[in-house]
Amino acid sequence: MTAAPPLIVLLIDSDPDRAKIVEEGLRGAAAVKQANMLHGPELLSLIQQLQPDAIIIDCDSPDRDTIENLQLVARENPKPIVMFVENGDGSLAKEAVRSGVSAYIVDGLSEKRVLPVVEIAIERFRMFDALWRDLEKSKADLQARKLIERAKGLLMEKRQMTENEAYTAMRKIAMEKGKSIKEVAESILSVLTLLDD
Amino acid sequence: MSIEQPLLKIGFVPLTDMAPLAIAKEKGFFEKYGLDVRLVAQNSWSQVRERLALGEIDAAHILAPMIPASWLNGAFADEKFVSALTLNLNGNAITVSNSLYQELLDADFDAMLERPTTARALRKVILRRAETGREPLTIGSVFPFSSHNFAMRYWLGAQKINPDRDVHMIVAPPPIMAEHMESGKVDAFCVGEPWNTVAETKGVGRTIVRTNEILGNMTEKMLGVRQRWASENPNTHRALILAVLEALRWLDAKENCLESTQILSSSHYVGVKPHLLAPALGGGGALPSRRSLVEFPDYLVFHHYAANFPWRSHAVWYLTQMVRWGQVAEPINVFDIVRDAFLPEFYREAASAVGIPCPADDDFANGACARPWVLHDADAPIVMPRQEFIDGRDFDARDPVGYIDGFAQHNLRIRASDIAAKD
Repeated sequence: MTAAPPLIVLLIDSDPDRAKIVEEGLRGAAAVKQANMLHGPELLSLIQQLQPDAIIIDCDSPDRDTIENLQLVARENPKPIVMFVENGDGSLAKEAVRSGVSAYIVDGLSEKRVLPVVEIAIERFRMFDALWRDLEKSKADLQARKLIERAKGLLMEKRQMTENEAYTAMRKIAMEKGKSIKEVAESILSVLTLLDD
Repeated sequence: MSIEQPLLKIGFVPLTDMAPLAIAKEKGFFEKYGLDVRLVAQNSWSQVRERLALGEIDAAHILAPMIPASWLNGAFADEKFVSALTLNLNGNAITVSNSLYQELLDADFDAMLERPTTARALRKVILRRAETGREPLTIGSVFPFSSHNFAMRYWLGAQKINPDRDVHMIVAPPPIMAEHMESGKVDAFCVGEPWNTVAETKGVGRTIVRTNEILGNMTEKMLGVRQRWASENPNTHRALILAVLEALRWLDAKENCLESTQILSSSHYVGVKPHLLAPALGGGGALPSRRSLVEFPDYLVFHHYAANFPWRSHAVWYLTQMVRWGQVAEPINVFDIVRDAFLPEFYREAASAVGIPCPADDDFANGACARPWVLHDADAPIVMPRQEFIDGRDFDARDPVGYIDGFAQHNLRIRASDIAAKD
């Protein structure tokens, strides 16, 4: 445990007492960044910048929808979510877990419990994530091949290139810009289809 | 018929279109039908979903797409939501920041004068930005399963802009987005009232197109309940529908506009000044900072046009958009979902008992009519609105597969034919 780099945890909670417990509970094991003053685009760029290992959020937070959408759309880089829940009967927690939350902390939170919950959340998340990534990777490979084919086709049609020339041109751009051929194909499609009336 | 559960908690998000609930409460309509209702404000749509699923609230002011979305495997929880009452049509709009507005004018002045305003000029701006290596535009909506998200995407897609490729789509609470528009952190958003009016009034943005012009009178918010609750409490459910229907009729009368703005401006409900609520509630749609006012009678429709009828065709339409944008990753049966999720039969039974004319059919073809029309297939003829999508496409709810196949811009994760699986 000691050799592992410290975790980065993003905390979205407007309750200062609870925030303090979390900070104390994670002391030495994780760097806690509080984000209760940041919302919407600012919160998203902080997450982008910080790349936290986990996000802890209060179930009453107005930022819930932002985080939920992040989980839905940013599939390439999802985060484990831990949620504070007020009532301890566990049903809300069950509900939350089903809708993408990795773990929950019910009230009556003690410093000792914070770290295990966060660690379990990250662990569980990684397991699901690995499974999911395998599945998505095969889908993505197929998708990338299709994209490259379409971009090649467009270049051949609009720039009167041969298939070989189109592919060589894309590879050249990819090498010069340090991007993948798929990314190059995407920008070609984006520009050429936007230009196309 | 006795009310099974006279004490009810109903959740809402502080927006202008929660008005029917506030009015039913303040004007005593809930009481009249034997209900003792507590209205509880919620901070996010995620929270509305959770509290409703758990039974912490009995009913909710809810985004129409959240009802069919609750039937998708894995998208929501196990608890299924149903609705027998639409609270309003339309009511949202797209607002752009002042600086983006200027860019749009520079890119294509004529396109920006057209009504409805398409994303033609925006496409040119996006292209210019891509060519000069500027950051993509940040465009916001309020929830993944929201009419706002689908209207924005529809508007972009109609001009061959792929929202998942050409711009940066985010979700954030409307007040936050209005706040960040000035600093340029949000370039455009599609939100409900009063937040477009707030952005215009504060002078941080311009409202350029209303969702009415994009989707042609689409179901917006509904009164959502759990399927299990609805089957266990039919009398309470009926009483609730009747009470809210009275409020909806009350709101539809122009002379009540002033009073409704006063009621809603209370901090218990929307909590903004009455003049920020007036444009949408008054049905005028003229926004304060506009030099050239555009009359906009159906900005927000509460009752006329059979607005409260839960059209199954609208649920089908929302599901087609979820599929189109990759929110559905497994095969589904659209027809099974809408049959269970929307309850027009229950609405008909409740509404016709108090003399409100009801459509006889559960579907109608959107996009088919460019001018208002009369629906004769009803208890009494109903005046219906213009029903057009901004790209001029027709939508026939009987053929969702063909409809999805017709979109050039999409992010499909299943085949279109996977949405009408035969058992």
